[in-house]
Amino acid sequence: MNRNYIILTFLMLALAVGTLFLHLQKDTKQIQPEALLWDVLQPTRYVTTDQVAKRLIEKDPSLMLIDVRPAAEYTQFTLPGALNVPLDSLYTSAALANFGIPGAKVVLFANDAIAADEAWVILRRLNFKNNYVMKGGLNGWVETIIRPVAPAETAPETAFEQYNFRKAASMYFTGAKMDVNKDQKAKVVFKKRKKTVVASGGC
Amino acid sequence: MDTIKKENAPHYINPYLGGVLLGMLLLLTIYITGRGLGASGAVKSTVATTAKIVTPQDAKANAYIGRYITDDHSPMYTWLVFESLGIFFGGLLSGVIFRRVGKPRIEHSSKISGNKRLIFATIGGILFGIGSQFGRGCTSGAALSGSGTFAVGGIIVMFAIFGTGYAVAWLFKKLWI
Amino acid sequence: MGPLIPNGIITGDWNFVIAILLGVAFGFILEASGFSSSRNIVGVFYGYNFVVLRVFFTALIVTMVGLMYFDYFGWLNLSQIFILPTFWQPMLVGGIVMGFGFIMGGFCPGTSFTAIAIGKIDALLFTVGLYVGIGIFSLAFPLFADFYNSGNLGNITVTDLTGIDASWLALAFTFIALAAFWITMLIEKKIRKKITDYKF
Repeated sequence: MNRNYIILTFLMLALAVGTLFLHLQKDTKQIQPEALLWDVLQPTRYVTTDQVAKRLIEKDPSLMLIDVRPAAEYTQFTLPGALNVPLDSLYTSAALANFGIPGAKVVLFANDAIAADEAWVILRRLNFKNNYVMKGGLNGWVETIIRPVAPAETAPETAFEQYNFRKAASMYFTGAKMDVNKDQKAKVVFKKRKKTVVASGGC
Repeated sequence: MDTIKKENAPHYINPYLGGVLLGMLLLLTIYITGRGLGASGAVKSTVATTAKIVTPQDAKANAYIGRYITDDHSPMYTWLVFESLGIFFGGLLSGVIFRRVGKPRIEHSSKISGNKRLIFATIGGILFGIGSQFGRGCTSGAALSGSGTFAVGGIIVMFAIFGTGYAVAWLFKKLWI
Repeated sequence: MGPLIPNGIITGDWNFVIAILLGVAFGFILEASGFSSSRNIVGVFYGYNFVVLRVFFTALIVTMVGLMYFDYFGWLNLSQIFILPTFWQPMLVGGIVMGFGFIMGGFCPGTSFTAIAIGKIDALLFTVGLYVGIGIFSLAFPLFADFYNSGNLGNITVTDLTGIDASWLALAFTFIALAAFWITMLIEKKIRKKITDYKF
């Protein structure tokens, strides 16, 4: 009898020690390189500045803008309602809690697309989905939305439609900028991911 | 003499086997329902039901029980009540299989009378009832299921119950041995 | 994919059937392990019968370690399971009150149900006591409503509180439990020699 108990004791210990290794493995578990490469190459991971502007004007509640520039640049200028998650603090748990919220579409941006792309790849490797990069970054934003260039006379009609939209958007973002900034910052607050509680009640 | 004693002695399964089965049952329960086992919640539902039948107005107004009373169905219609019914029938099943079901009897130490045992059982029940409400569950709901899922509260309740038990055991030694 | 019911894999209609089946298994295990006898149960406090400690701790470490494996194999989403909320002051007091109830009554609610099933009158009165106790609590609730809701830390786990990884906690508990099994085996042997009144 005692011998059986000794065997069982060691079995239980081995199982418990085994959980430590499960965890170590899990920490380094990432998406497969091929899958990551495939996703990086997909053009759908980009959104244009027009799309962002449109959603901002429509006050789309599922849109979540993340500014990955350093905090100093963020305080100077950013998009209305954007949150600041500097690239170098992306790995902190407080920063990561902003991602992977069900239903939210996260748009990453910086001055150009490079820093945002970097953030996107890091997030994708951590297995977060529904993240997008704003094409052209804030530079592109200024060029296309804030100071749109009128298309040539010979341009197709769609180009004029786009130009008109951009002009209107420019007025929206520059004219009412102060108000919009304040309003939006207060309004669009995303709840960070929390543990889902199934139900409550006594024992 | 020895053989008779063995036949009369209750036949229990190995406690470690029981523990492994109970652990696996708890895992299965969490896997299916997302929460653990419980027992005292069923008695709470019974109290709520009685209150609803006897004094519907007061029951609803009660700050504690009122939460469990709705107009559309009886407070008995909860998961834990059905689970506790199951506990009863499971106990009965095991009792039949291992031949422990018998006529109503009182189990007590030879140092105390049956009536004394009953009085202490009732007091113990009352204390357990009050304590389980403060503790958000009893030994199965809070201490076992709570600790099993690493909940801080479950571990507090577990240590509080067993710690108190050891601390005051000498006071009640006569009741048992 | 688990838990099944919250994720809609099993519909709510089956909820109560499952509740009864799980309850039957629970009751069977409790009774078969000897928890239908209050003198078996309190033996843990006097050292003559450690069945409670054995069953309880084994179940606990099997669950803790099992959850880690369930999580690893992707069977269970640990963020979806119910974590008991922690109200540390009332829970501590509740635990102490329950400790008194335990040593005086010799049962806990689940075990008393199985003991009623095999015909124990003391268990029946324990359950009546439970009923009365919860009734008293409800009637007197306004007196200590503030205390009841004090010390709220939310649905936290030990990992949330201390930052220690759940696997390490499971391992630590396993160590403690296994050590306790071996030590209590020796204690039990010693104490049983002294007790003549109780048949084992």
